[in-house]
Amino acid sequence: MLLSLIVFLPLAGGLLVLAAGGRGDQPDRAPLVRNIALLTSLVTFAATLYLWWQFDPTSAAFQFEEKHAWMPDFGIQYYLGVDGISLLLLVLTGFLTPIALLSSWESVEKGVKSFSFFILALESAMLGVFVSIDLFLFYVFWDAMLIPMYFLIGIWGYERRIYAAVKFILYTMAGSVLMLIAIIALAIAHSTATGSPSFNLLDLYGLTLTDQFQFWAFLAFALAFAIKVPLFPFHTWLPDAHVEAPTAGSIILAGVLLKMGTYGLLRFAFPLFPQAAHYFMPFLATLAVIGIIYGALVAMVQPDMKKLVAYSSVSHLGVVVLGLCALNLQGVQGSVMQMLNHGVSTGGLFMIVGMLSDRRHTRLISEYGGIKAVTPKLVAAFLIITLASIALPFTNGFVGEFLILVGAFRWSPKFAAFAATGVILSAVYMLWMFQRVNYGELRNPHNRSLPDLSKREWAMVIPIVAMAIFMGVLPNVFLHPMEASVNRVIQRIVDRQPTQVQVQPAAAGTSERGQRGAGQP
Amino acid sequence: MTDYAAIIPLLIVALAGASAMLAEAFREPGERMPIAGLGLIGLAGAAVASVFLWDTDRSSFGVIRADNFSLFINIILCVVGVLTMLFSNEVVEREHLPPGEYYALTLFAICGMMMMASATDLLVVFIALEILSLAVYVLTGLRRASVTGAEAAFKYFLLGSFSSAFFLYGIAFMFAVAGSTRLEQISIALSAQGASGPPTLAVLGVGLLAVGFAFKVSAVPFHMWTPDAYEGAPTIVTAFMSTGVKAAAFGAFARVFLSPLEPLQSQWLPVLSVIAALTMIVGTVIGVVQTNIKRMLAYSSIAHAGYLLLGIIAANSAGKAAILFYLLAYAVSNLGALGIVALLGTPENEHDELRDFAGLKDSRPALAALMTVFLLSLGGFPPLAGFIGKWYIFNAAVQEGHYGLAIIGVLTSVVSVFFYLRIVVMMWMTEGPEVHRPRVPATALAGLALATLGVFYLGILPTRVLQLALDSIATIF
Repeated sequence: MLLSLIVFLPLAGGLLVLAAGGRGDQPDRAPLVRNIALLTSLVTFAATLYLWWQFDPTSAAFQFEEKHAWMPDFGIQYYLGVDGISLLLLVLTGFLTPIALLSSWESVEKGVKSFSFFILALESAMLGVFVSIDLFLFYVFWDAMLIPMYFLIGIWGYERRIYAAVKFILYTMAGSVLMLIAIIALAIAHSTATGSPSFNLLDLYGLTLTDQFQFWAFLAFALAFAIKVPLFPFHTWLPDAHVEAPTAGSIILAGVLLKMGTYGLLRFAFPLFPQAAHYFMPFLATLAVIGIIYGALVAMVQPDMKKLVAYSSVSHLGVVVLGLCALNLQGVQGSVMQMLNHGVSTGGLFMIVGMLSDRRHTRLISEYGGIKAVTPKLVAAFLIITLASIALPFTNGFVGEFLILVGAFRWSPKFAAFAATGVILSAVYMLWMFQRVNYGELRNPHNRSLPDLSKREWAMVIPIVAMAIFMGVLPNVFLHPMEASVNRVIQRIVDRQPTQVQVQPAAAGTSERGQRGAGQP
Repeated sequence: MTDYAAIIPLLIVALAGASAMLAEAFREPGERMPIAGLGLIGLAGAAVASVFLWDTDRSSFGVIRADNFSLFINIILCVVGVLTMLFSNEVVEREHLPPGEYYALTLFAICGMMMMASATDLLVVFIALEILSLAVYVLTGLRRASVTGAEAAFKYFLLGSFSSAFFLYGIAFMFAVAGSTRLEQISIALSAQGASGPPTLAVLGVGLLAVGFAFKVSAVPFHMWTPDAYEGAPTIVTAFMSTGVKAAAFGAFARVFLSPLEPLQSQWLPVLSVIAALTMIVGTVIGVVQTNIKRMLAYSSIAHAGYLLLGIIAANSAGKAAILFYLLAYAVSNLGALGIVALLGTPENEHDELRDFAGLKDSRPALAALMTVFLLSLGGFPPLAGFIGKWYIFNAAVQEGHYGLAIIGVLTSVVSVFFYLRIVVMMWMTEGPEVHRPRVPATALAGLALATLGVFYLGILPTRVLQLALDSIATIF
């Protein structure tokens, strides 16, 4: 029951918000609506923390399972469960949603009721994606998630919001519908093999699929996830969506939605189609590395802070994908860790950019300069989050990137070398942006009287900064619960390496990864 | 003695239609009579009768068969009819449509539709087709003062007559082959064919029948009448015919093609596959550029016909059941959407242009929200009816290895999302001028509530209806 409760609590809160908001748009009820929404999201966060508390980190199996028949004739179940990987992503979702709500406390004035409803509905769908073990259920949440996000961008976004919203939804859908076909084909393959169809992930893991089937199905899955990540060259929706989205939308988009792509690769695409995964791994890694460098270079020349952070996401997520492709404990653990880190630090960056643009109504770097003199506290927070984003030791980013680079190096030093350049470049563009915004002479007269952090903003800044440092100093708190699950996933993929490899028993044991070259069909 | 049981639902609806006509005769000029109530009673009666006939598999005169398949379609048609009646009550008054004629024709059309789905003789299918077509032609041109209405009715009538002629010609060929127009006789004749392959006459007959059906379900390239007829007809009639005619025609289409004509599958399958692919592509691509909502939904209905054709092409039990489920899901979603358009229209402003919807969220937030739900369901978003329908159809197609068609299907449904979202963009993201929008009466709200409930029920808890759909096809195919 706990998982269902966590998933649907935000939606229930959202419906309550709709009821409390009354008919139409009543501004006098906005405070009430905001408080209900915030309270719901906080309770949800507390529930995810409780889940973590109850979680058994030594087990790799799905925990807190809930299984009910939904459409039994088709093998579709309402099947929820959480393992070490999804657990932390749930907590991340719970952590970022209140911050997203707080970030729009003042900037969203019109339609507070529907805004809060969409944020909470979105949270429900996101949580649902992470806990679904039934592929059909997963797809339902995956697709349902698009609608609230579409409205958030389209109604409360900036000038080109409609274009960005439509591009977002069509782009993501185009990828995911092909995955739907692949999911259906999988269930039918299960039916041919065992006599009854099944969408249960654990059943499907056990299927032996032909190379050709794996090839196409992997492509369909990987396309859906690559668009979501976004992996170069499928990233073009991201800058538009980020730039036009309201701050709350950007925080959630960067913080949670992008992680679904990498989560999907790790949970579905790789273990379901291990042979195809082996075959495609170098291509994925190449795209990831191109994305790392390309994203960084493009970020460097952006005049708009939000766009800069958006492109930095392309670069950072490339690093995450590379870690997954390495497919060893360090790489994958680093990737999952980095998903969390990126959620915290990039979410934080969008939050800071949002604060600045709330004050000045512009996001252009050239409009700022020297604001350290007027808003020292805000700048201090900005600095810490920036450093976390460029992976300074003792911040969260360092742990993740370091593990990924180690993992990638063990797999292929070549890829690791390219990825490391990306890490250096990220320091360049972030610090350069930071410098241009905060240091130097205060030339722009509009910036002379900017207010520093308000109480509400402190309430957002403190958790983010604290988390960035906490995760950097005590990474084991996060690495420990996921270790067993990560090992299991890797095992699942490596155990079913291409047949040529399996006939050489010595090879399979030497390393988790072993035979990459020989493994290509 | 003849068994009349199978025609009871039809009789009840026909009786309601006749009473609507009588009531009109006794109506004082200007008096507001609750004729819609008569229709509601009749339809409820027909639905109850259908429920009682469930699993009995009765047959009347050897040509009307009340098997579960036709009863399921009867119930879809009752849903269509009830929703139409609930919306009509206000709209007929407001648009000054002649109430007696309107309700009588609608009910007769439903009677024809039910007959079409339950007929087991090609000639009876033809008669039913004519009953429903004539009623719908007249309904299309019911606004006598409207030029577009007259044009639409005339076009529909002319093209419809051609297609009826094709259909009749097809029946003649089948008669030449089998010596009978009964489906079971045709079935026997065609399965008995020797090694020389099917007779040319049979192939010609199948082609001509396919043209007739393709016209009625508005499949490309026989779809030309659809946008004009849908746009010119009063919106409420558009809502009715887009869902009702489709349900009846697909019922008969499936019954004729999937049992007696099944031996000729290798002949008709490639043709229907091309038609289905074209229908999905043309419907969505042209839909994208429409600025009139009725036209847009006309093209959307063409695209949906393409998805439904996938069910016939798959020809497995999943496909047949998927057709039934999809028809129901489409009926509630599309009637809801067009019902809202109809309810917002006035004689001065039909409220069917895209720009008319600008800023609807400010003046009618609830209607805007419901419209969004219906459109998203048509677009196939979970957890709404349309999603389950599409999944089921594509599931059936993939099962038979029709990957290409399934991929065209999912990709065109992404494109179709684009035009459904154009309406959503207008309602939620565009500021509009203050337009006068009429109030929505309680009966219509009840209809909208019913449709919304259906959309969510079929989307979240589809198991029961899916099971019923599967049961329905077990008896006949």
